[in-house]
Parts: sequence; structure tokens; C-alpha cells
Amino acid sequence: MSKPTKTRSVDEINEKIRKGDVQVLTAEEMKKLVESSGVEVAFKEVDVVTTGTFGAMCSSGAVINLGHSDPPIKIEHAWMNDVEVCHPGAAVDLFIGATNMSEKQPFEYGGGHVIQDLVAGKEVELRATAYGTDCYPRTQLKTNLTKDDLNQFYLLNFRNCYQRYNCAVNNSDETIYTYMSKLLPRLRNATFSGAGELNPLMNDPDYETIGTGTRIFLGGGQGYVIGEGTQHSPKNLNGTLMVKGDAKKMSPEFLQGAAFTRYGTSLYVGLGVPIPILNEGLAKKTAIRDSEILTDVVDYSVPRRDRPKLRQVSYKELKSGSIMINDKKVRVSSLSSLKMAKKVSQTLKSWIEEATFFLTSPVERLPTDTVFKPMRQTQEIPFVVSVMHPAVTCTENEEIRAIAERIVTKSVNHIVVVDGVGKLRGIVTSWDITRAMAEGKKALADIETHNVVTAKPDEPLEIASKRMAQHNISALPVIDIEMKVLGIVTSEDVSKLLGR
Amino acid sequence: MVRLLLRFSEEQVPQPITSQVILEYKVPIAILVAHINSKGGEILAEVPDEAQEKIINAFRKRGVSVTVPKLIEVDAEKCFSCGSCVALCPVEAISIDKDLSVKFDKEKCVGSTCSICVDACPTRAIKSVKQTSSEQPANNRKK
Repeated sequence: MSKPTKTRSVDEINEKIRKGDVQVLTAEEMKKLVESSGVEVAFKEVDVVTTGTFGAMCSSGAVINLGHSDPPIKIEHAWMNDVEVCHPGAAVDLFIGATNMSEKQPFEYGGGHVIQDLVAGKEVELRATAYGTDCYPRTQLKTNLTKDDLNQFYLLNFRNCYQRYNCAVNNSDETIYTYMSKLLPRLRNATFSGAGELNPLMNDPDYETIGTGTRIFLGGGQGYVIGEGTQHSPKNLNGTLMVKGDAKKMSPEFLQGAAFTRYGTSLYVGLGVPIPILNEGLAKKTAIRDSEILTDVVDYSVPRRDRPKLRQVSYKELKSGSIMINDKKVRVSSLSSLKMAKKVSQTLKSWIEEATFFLTSPVERLPTDTVFKPMRQTQEIPFVVSVMHPAVTCTENEEIRAIAERIVTKSVNHIVVVDGVGKLRGIVTSWDITRAMAEGKKALADIETHNVVTAKPDEPLEIASKRMAQHNISALPVIDIEMKVLGIVTSEDVSKLLGR
Repeated sequence: MVRLLLRFSEEQVPQPITSQVILEYKVPIAILVAHINSKGGEILAEVPDEAQEKIINAFRKRGVSVTVPKLIEVDAEKCFSCGSCVALCPVEAISIDKDLSVKFDKEKCVGSTCSICVDACPTRAIKSVKQTSSEQPANNRKK
């Protein structure tokens, strides 16, 4: 007997699709099969594994061509449903960026919604202006368009399908609104993104089958991988894809505009990749489980590029609904829809079974060794530590009179109240002292503010300045993680340095 | 059941108003959420439909401000079950079903007094709406 073949080709698979006897499993089904029957059987029985993800992908957009107006216009500025669209090329080619926001409804409606509305067949209002040339004399334009009126309407996403993403938390004292959604103070919730074991790149981490030219499920239609995505960082499992597809054939179910409070707008994209099981190695790789996919829990309250990582978690833990951080149970929400990710993989499976979708071999492999570099900055920005100065302090058992004297002799407006080891207890201002005198109060406890707004030494000065403005105050004690007072930064320090 | 938001002033806090109302009208009142300190505060209470009018009047007679809070409603057309709202809910009224759909339990939800999930929904599928069964007393209340 001859040894069973240990490989199969994309051509062989396409032939089976044509004949109607291709064996397709979703990534979810494949994992179960490998677990129950082993890699060898799974390789023998399965030709294709379908993957899927459905998440907010901000680096998405659409290229459209409007056709020429009469008289013709070379568009300089344009808006669709009051969302400014970019005019990167010749006369009537536009790019709708998902995160551009409506000038009338900012943070609620944006480029992602314009794309969804067009895909859904809705009419969209286009306004444009131009400086006018001899060949393109027109300077003003207003018209209504549907996708059928456009010559080309292509989704063109320069970074989609992140292999995995951070889990976000907020360890500060105030709620923050981020692209990872609303994060409650003191680790009261966590959010994560990505489909984990269903993610296309997690199922082909060596880019054996996913490359330039791979046909994919994109937004409910068919599209192509056109290269590595921006910030592609496969070495540390942060790969991304650049994709395009004919948006006229897509569905608003799999392309949905989104609004993140105080962050802006985006586009949820449904993306699925068929993985041809060409060898046993791929059968094994597509069996990857959520428990093997790890990511970092990152504190988004720190306004820096390198934010503190609190721990590593697996997607299995993330999908369970809660994770442990510092012995505290934190409830965790997914931002991408796992239900829709599953639907993407199931829809792609049915397309292949019905022979309406055929597989392609990549014409070029994607890089597997690139890393994502930080920005080169030729100008330094000031941090709190660079302007803070020693704080004038007092303790809680001191008399108001003594504190008033200190304000005069040291010529300051803020006295920081500390305990015996220099930890922050409160703050008193010259105004508090004046009021205490007027009202005849003697005890510091009656006038001291305990709920103190503070700064950290490694924060950008700009952020500290914003916090002062937000709370309508003029100084922030600078503290370390143990609440020890390191100094004080005042609005005067800020205006001296930032010139405002 | 109808939910009522009771606001107590600093002077009313030391008085046993809620107990008095319960004893006088013999109506069970469930306290769902309470935020009260010596400076005043709020109670979100639940009362039976048929008793709502007399209970509202009883609290108002004692100087307590009574409003009928709005309820939270989810537009199933817009929700694609991302789940952003799930971990935010303080009363665990939102959960993920077996089929990965986001499930919303109106019985558990404390309504517009909380609303923590509303601005976290990326498709704006969550809205505050009026409680229909109590529209009358809500509309009649003094502004």
C-alpha cells in the first residue's frame, strides 16, 4: 500500500468545491474535531477551515469615484452627510475615512456611518467646493448619490483584522472614555477586542496561506488581502492585513458605523479568511484554543505610549466574563461581536460549500519578521517632573494661624497637608484661610479639602494642565504611587512653559 | 410593578418616612437602590401598579420629591451583540446568552437613575424611555 498523501493543493480544493464534495469546517468546529480525533484525522477529513472576526476597525475607509459633473469640477473640499471626506487624487475621486466625524453631529455620526448608509442603498448628500481652473471651472457642487450612482465604490482598509489586542482597564479615580470604550475608575470594568481562536491570523500565524492575493470574506462580500496591514507586527503576534473589496456587493449587516463616546466614530468590519488545510501542520495550527492566546491587561489611564501592563490574560479568561487583577474580580466586556465573528465564519463556510467562493493561493507572502516601531520625535515635550517644585506643607494638627503665616512667608497659594511620613492628606488654599478667618474657624479640619486632584511626575504637562482646567483649580500636588508628596505643579508653572 | 425615584432633603433624612408610608398604607415597597447620607439622597423603590398613585401622593404629602424614572430599552435592530455594555451594568441586568447574543433583563435594570450603559453602546442601541404604566402621575407632578 502506498503511503497516504501528506499534502493537498489549493487547486485540488477548488476542484472539490466545483464537484460539491469539499469538506469545510468553521474554526470552532475544527478545534473540536482535532480535540476528539487528532491532527491526522482532521487533516485527512478537512479541506478548508473558515475563520472570522467582527470588530471596530478604525483604519478603514472607502474609495469612490463620482463621475464628472457638468460643468466639471476638480474637488478641493468635500463632505458626505456633513462628514468631511478626503480628496487625495484627481478631480472626482474621494476617500471616506471611517473616523472622520460629521460637522453637525460629531462623535455620533462619521465616515463609518456614511459607508454603512451607502452600502445599505441609502441616498447620501455630497457637498463640494473647488478653486476652479480653466479645465475644471466649477467651484460649488451639491447633489444626492446612492451607491448605484458611483463608478467605483471600494472598501480599502489599510489596517484590519488585528491578530489580538490589549485588554483595557482604568486604574485612575475618574471614568475615562477611550477607543476601548468606557472604562470605569479603580478597575471597575475591563474591555477587550478580537475574536481569539476564531481570528484569521491566529489560525495561520506563519502566513503560510494568507498573503497578497488571498480571497476573503469582507463586509458580507468578497474581497482580497492586498498586503500586510499598517503596524503589522507578526513577530509578537500583532499581525494585521490590508484589504480591499467591492463595497457595492457588501452588506450593511457586516459593515456597521459605530460611535465611541468622547473618542469618535469608527466602522465595524466583518472579515473572514478561509484557511486551506494544505498539510498536517495547518490542521494543528487551526486547532489553537483561546487558552493558548495571551494578551496584556493595560492601564489606559496612564497618558503615555508605554502604559503599565498589569498582567497577562488568555482569551479564554476574557471570554469567561471576568478576570482577576490584583486579587480583585473585574468584569470584562468584549467590544467586538463574537456572535457576528461566528456568523462570518459560518457564512464563508456556506459560500464555499455552495461553490460561490473559490480559494486563491497568495501571489506574494506577507512579511513575518517586521516589528512596529515607535515614532521618531525630534522635539521633546515637557512632563510634570520637569516643572514641579517642592511643596510647602503642613500637618493636620497645626493651627490655621500658623498656616496663614507660612502662606505669607513662603509666598504661595497652596499648602499641602501631609501625615507623619509625608503622605498626602489634603490641601488648603489661601482662599480657604481667608474664609476661615472671616467665619472665625480655627481648626484646619473645617477648611481642608480631602478629595485632592493630583498629578504624577511622569505625566505630560499638557495633561496635568487640562486636569486643572477641568476641575477649575490652580495647582496639583505631585504624588508617587504610595501617595507620598513629591512636589507641586501650579497653573503659573504651566503658563510659563506652555505660554498660556 | 412601577419604579419610583424618591429624593430626600437633608431635613428629611432623619425621619422614618418610608417606614411610615409602608405602615400607613400596608403596601410592600422594595428598595432597589439607595444612596443616602446626612446631606440627603435618593432611593429607587418598586411599588405594585395598583398602589402607585396613593404611594406617590403619600411621599409627596411628606415633602419627598417623587419622579418616575425612565426605563432603559434596547433597539434589537441596532444591537449586534458586541457586549460593551455587559461588564458596566452594576445590577447584572445584561448578560451574554448561550448563542452569544446580548440579553437584557428589564426586571433587573434600575433604569435611567443609572444609565451607565447608554453612552458605552457603539451603535447607540440603548435608550432611556418613559415608563408607560406610570405616565399619569409622572406628567401630573409639579415641576
